[in-house]
Amino acid sequence: MAVLSTADVTLVFSSLCTFFQETETAVSQPQWPENGGQWSDEEGGAGMDECGLAEMAEEDEEIDIYNNETFGMDMDTEVVDTEGDPTNPLFQFGEKPPALPALPSLSPSSPPFSPRARPQLRVQGPPGRRGRGQRGGQAMAQMFEDPAVVRTVEGRPSLQSLDSAIVDVGSVSYWDDLDPDAWMLSSYERTRHASGSVLQDPAIVCVMDSHAPGRGPNYLDSHYPFSNSSGRRGGLRGSYSNRPFGQRCPSQINTMLPSSPIVSRRPFTTQQPYNQVGGLPSPRPCPSTPQPLTPKMMQLRFGANSPRPSPFYSPSSNRVQRFRFPGPVTQLHPQHRRLLSQRQQRSQRKPDSWDPYCNLMSAKEKEWIIRLQMIQLQSENPHLDDYYYQEYYRRMEAKLAEEELGMRGKREPPKLTTPYVTKMDSYTPVVHIEGSLGQVAVSTCFSPRRAINAVAAHCPHEELKDIRQQRLDVLKKIEKLFMVLLEVEEGQRMKAQVLGEGEEKGLMEKTEIKVEYIYSQLQHPDLEAEEEFLPCLLVSKGKQLLARLLPFLSHDAALKVLSMVTSHLPVLMSRDSDESLPVLYPSLRIVIGGMTFSQLIGVLKDFTASLPDSSDGSVCLSLVCQSKFGLSLLYALLSQGERLLSSDVPLEPSIGDFETWTDTVFLVASQLSQSALVEPLLLPSNLLTLFCRYLDKRTIHQLKSNMESATGYLALPS
Amino acid sequence: RTAAPLSCSSKHSTKEKHLVLLRDGRTLIGFLRSIDQFANLVFHQTVERIHVGKKFGDIPRGIFIVRGENVVLLGEIDMDKPCDTVLQQVSIEEILEEQRLQQQAKQETEKAKVTALKDRGLSIPKADNLDEY
Repeated sequence: MAVLSTADVTLVFSSLCTFFQETETAVSQPQWPENGGQWSDEEGGAGMDECGLAEMAEEDEEIDIYNNETFGMDMDTEVVDTEGDPTNPLFQFGEKPPALPALPSLSPSSPPFSPRARPQLRVQGPPGRRGRGQRGGQAMAQMFEDPAVVRTVEGRPSLQSLDSAIVDVGSVSYWDDLDPDAWMLSSYERTRHASGSVLQDPAIVCVMDSHAPGRGPNYLDSHYPFSNSSGRRGGLRGSYSNRPFGQRCPSQINTMLPSSPIVSRRPFTTQQPYNQVGGLPSPRPCPSTPQPLTPKMMQLRFGANSPRPSPFYSPSSNRVQRFRFPGPVTQLHPQHRRLLSQRQQRSQRKPDSWDPYCNLMSAKEKEWIIRLQMIQLQSENPHLDDYYYQEYYRRMEAKLAEEELGMRGKREPPKLTTPYVTKMDSYTPVVHIEGSLGQVAVSTCFSPRRAINAVAAHCPHEELKDIRQQRLDVLKKIEKLFMVLLEVEEGQRMKAQVLGEGEEKGLMEKTEIKVEYIYSQLQHPDLEAEEEFLPCLLVSKGKQLLARLLPFLSHDAALKVLSMVTSHLPVLMSRDSDESLPVLYPSLRIVIGGMTFSQLIGVLKDFTASLPDSSDGSVCLSLVCQSKFGLSLLYALLSQGERLLSSDVPLEPSIGDFETWTDTVFLVASQLSQSALVEPLLLPSNLLTLFCRYLDKRTIHQLKSNMESATGYLALPS
Repeated sequence: RTAAPLSCSSKHSTKEKHLVLLRDGRTLIGFLRSIDQFANLVFHQTVERIHVGKKFGDIPRGIFIVRGENVVLLGEIDMDKPCDTVLQQVSIEEILEEQRLQQQAKQETEKAKVTALKDRGLSIPKADNLDEY
């Protein structure tokens, strides 16, 4: 077998071309010295134009056929009966029915060349047939402009036009001695050809594969081995012409591009298993590669020469390529991993239905992409950067743990430990051009589209601001403080991890500073001491902010917040349109739990304090009874008082505390028994015990029934 | 975190179809053969599924190569799960007709809205391209 290089092939082609051209021109020139007598006399008089036109006409026909095949209008199937069974894949491969008229535009002189220059089968798309197809198709095309739809609607499209996969499968029948593996390889080489280059970038490969040494030139060298096998092409032209691609393009195009996809369809087999058929004149040539392929090298290679699952060597010898989780780059959440492995098992259990394209991407390639994407997901702070993923799996875990609670008791859920990765230098995206309004939008790989931040125009005089502006200010402030709060919470979470002594202290300090900052910022400087927190607190997000801040505050600061809340309770309750007050309850309850008796009394006084414009102190209380939050707060306070009283801890009360206490209790009890109560957020269990000690049976009974009716269950098991 | 590339590992041998939603609203279903880091996809034996109301229709499309930036979401179709959908498959002509009617109705309401606003001296700037911001 002659082995030709690319250069040789080009030479062959050009010589062929010139040969054809010469013959064509020879036809046109009547005074061709040697063979003038061979040509028909008609052609003798014909000028160059006619033959040129014939050439063009033929090309036009080729293009038309190609277009027809690609874009539909296979109407002929029903229109022309004489064309035989349309679904017969052989149909388009040269079995021209005798009923079809010969190409009228073909000049008689060209037939001598056409069998050689263009395979016979190409002729099978005569304009007559095309015309018929077009006529039928135009009506359909007007209704649906989509050729795919047209094709489907027509109902019986030829297999080839539908899917090249089917085409490929259909053409296998021509290759009798071809086994599926070799055929797969051919299609792989075709498809892999273009994609191979990406994976052959040594830089990327180096990043990927740390355990495969000795790569390198393998890829690039052996990327175009089939240029060596082009010598075979001539012999196979016939069989190539049977393929659908072949019918579209004359085989001279095959010769034209040695590295074209069409050519690379040639089954490119690995040497070892197919050595024995190397000598066969079958369509399975054994290419001689520049260097002998060792099994190890075969494993390492990507791109066009990537080994297919063959029994001898491959990255994964079994069809079901074992999925290796990406390496130490970034960890998946344990739940996620479990899900994937479950899915893996499930799919492995299913019987393998043979899918010719199922292994288009090798395991290495898949892993490469996965690793690449995982690299992008690395972060120091996954809980912040990848919040939704983390939260989702955390909740799933919690739910599972809850479900298993009854069965196995509390089990320690698997902790997610993400390896600490130093983040790259953070890119400061702010680009400010002098004289511009605000910032300029700069696109980078980190922020492809950067929205321009609106720079707020600051009003110098506070009094001139209108209400809306004030509200906007408050909202903006809350947002900023929230960001700081998120950092504080993050610090808290980090503290849970094992840190060094010095680090932990530094972290604590930083957290403290931030907490102080938020606390001070929440207090509006202008208003009186009592109403400091009010603006922020009237906004629901401000309530959330405060609720989350409370655990971080010192006891005194927290107490201050609590007293402020209780003293402004009427305002808060009335302005709480979206019922976001209850968000404060849990944090406040914890604060209450740490109060001393005196502090408690002080706070309770606010509950019973009379409003300036009403003489009756119980006005406030009746409002409280109607508010979930207010009532729950009251209950919590009373419960705390009862707890303190019934415990052995010395109370250290101030003067008048006990009186205030009893007064409060009486007042509250009478109020509670009279007015309708709403269901509180939490009903402490020691409330009735408290009331029992101070009140008479009747009141207690009334109280109890009132409370029970509100909550729907017994306040105390009697 | 994308589940797609990890679940892509399951396209080894079993017939696992994938569904992709494109930015222009098209839904494609087919065998996902290849993927790269930009989420460019190679779909095989693709079918474009058009949904109108409770009906849907499939148009076989062949091989699709989707540029990654046009992908909104990609998911795996679990063949094992019981298909208890209320959706009803209809022929292509029917679904296209339904789609045409739907578009027509939408256009008419839109036109009515615009004229109504114009009468009142208002005009809402239309976002010609939703992606521009």
